[in-house]
Amino acid sequence: MKKIAISFSFLLFSAAAVTAADDPIAVRQALMQANAASAGAASAMLKGEMDYNPVVAKAAIATFHSTAEAMGDFFPEGSNVGETRAAPAIWENPDAFRETLAKFRTDAAAAVEASGRDGPADLEAFRLAVMPVLSNCSACHENFRLEDD
Amino acid sequence: MRRALLWLATAVAAAGVVLWWATGPQPLEEDDLSGLQPGDAARSERIFVAGGCASCHARPDADGEAALELAGGRALKTAFGTFVAPNISPHPEDGIGDWSELDFANAMLRGISPEGEHYYPAFPYTSYARMEPQDVADLFAYLRTLPPVEGRPEGHSLSFPFTLRRGIGLWKLLYLDPEPVVALGEDALPEVLRGRYLVEGPGHCGECHTPRDWLGGPDLDRWLAGGPAPEGNGTVPNITPSSEGIGSWSEGDIAYFLESGFTPDFDSVGGAMVAVQKNMAHLPAEDREAIAAYLKVVEEVE
Repeated sequence: MKKIAISFSFLLFSAAAVTAADDPIAVRQALMQANAASAGAASAMLKGEMDYNPVVAKAAIATFHSTAEAMGDFFPEGSNVGETRAAPAIWENPDAFRETLAKFRTDAAAAVEASGRDGPADLEAFRLAVMPVLSNCSACHENFRLEDD
Repeated sequence: MRRALLWLATAVAAAGVVLWWATGPQPLEEDDLSGLQPGDAARSERIFVAGGCASCHARPDADGEAALELAGGRALKTAFGTFVAPNISPHPEDGIGDWSELDFANAMLRGISPEGEHYYPAFPYTSYARMEPQDVADLFAYLRTLPPVEGRPEGHSLSFPFTLRRGIGLWKLLYLDPEPVVALGEDALPEVLRGRYLVEGPGHCGECHTPRDWLGGPDLDRWLAGGPAPEGNGTVPNITPSSEGIGSWSEGDIAYFLESGFTPDFDSVGGAMVAVQKNMAHLPAEDREAIAAYLKVVEEVE
């Protein structure tokens, strides 16, 4: 379990490392990968594929919280060009994008609050805390990510 | 010479008559619906959700209770022009409040309006034509329980020659076929049959996930193999069990995606699929499992 928690910190660390490269596309993609890894850990527990562990739960929530706080800084004007699926709507409709990001931040902060010092007490507490956060993935990808696979 | 011209004119006129006749609407008769039980609204909520009716017919961005007000107005921008979903609330003038069950069955199963005009296939009746008439009757009963909403959204805005509705009759001769796309043997599992029904019929998955030919008809050789998004913003993924598609997904992965919106890599659902997945999440688990079972048996297309 400790391993998983450590790998979370690595994900965040790697996100920070790319910042230095001054490439907003790479940074936001690293942040998204951190989100995906956290969603994976969260889902494994919610589905019962992995025993519930409050330390892992807390790490997942903390990751969402930090990516939510950081994400908005990595969509500057002009970063719509390149290897990215960021939708033009981000820059055409910045207020809606900001609003969507703000909801992600609010939900993640509430989850941090709910998880307390030791992480959510049990699986049900974790579910209640993390489900609203997870709903932000599709809410944002509905309008602000291009569907190319 | 004059005689030749006369012949030519006669031939053209005859061809015109045949074409006019062939492109005419071919509605259901009252008898086609005999033997059905009275529509059951409660049973039909499941079909309403699976069919995603509200995704197009509710006001854009409506949520919760508001998504049951089927006022229309969502615009579908395609290569043929912009289609606008109409009001299908039970309002007597602006919606479908004064329709009969037969009117509704003709719309869903034949793509024909109560006035006997062809609907554009932006309304996915090519899929709905595969529905059980009983489900259509139940759905009609359900729609009548929803709140009537006043007002009509503006009409379609199409370019010539797509403004000629009669031409859709020709299109229907080519593409409107109530038979299942995927032939399944006698020994097919009930779950797979249910999945086929949901995907090919009410769920109308093929409308986006199957590429269209130059006439806008589905290319059935590439059933569910994905292609350009109908609204031109990106690509719709291949969902056949090939390496290009979702061959590496287990049935559990597919069902979980439909429930949670997460792929096996924990990428999330996006774009137009978000509304679809939200609907799928509201279906009973057995329906999502049935869809997954069917998607594993369709032909692999690269």
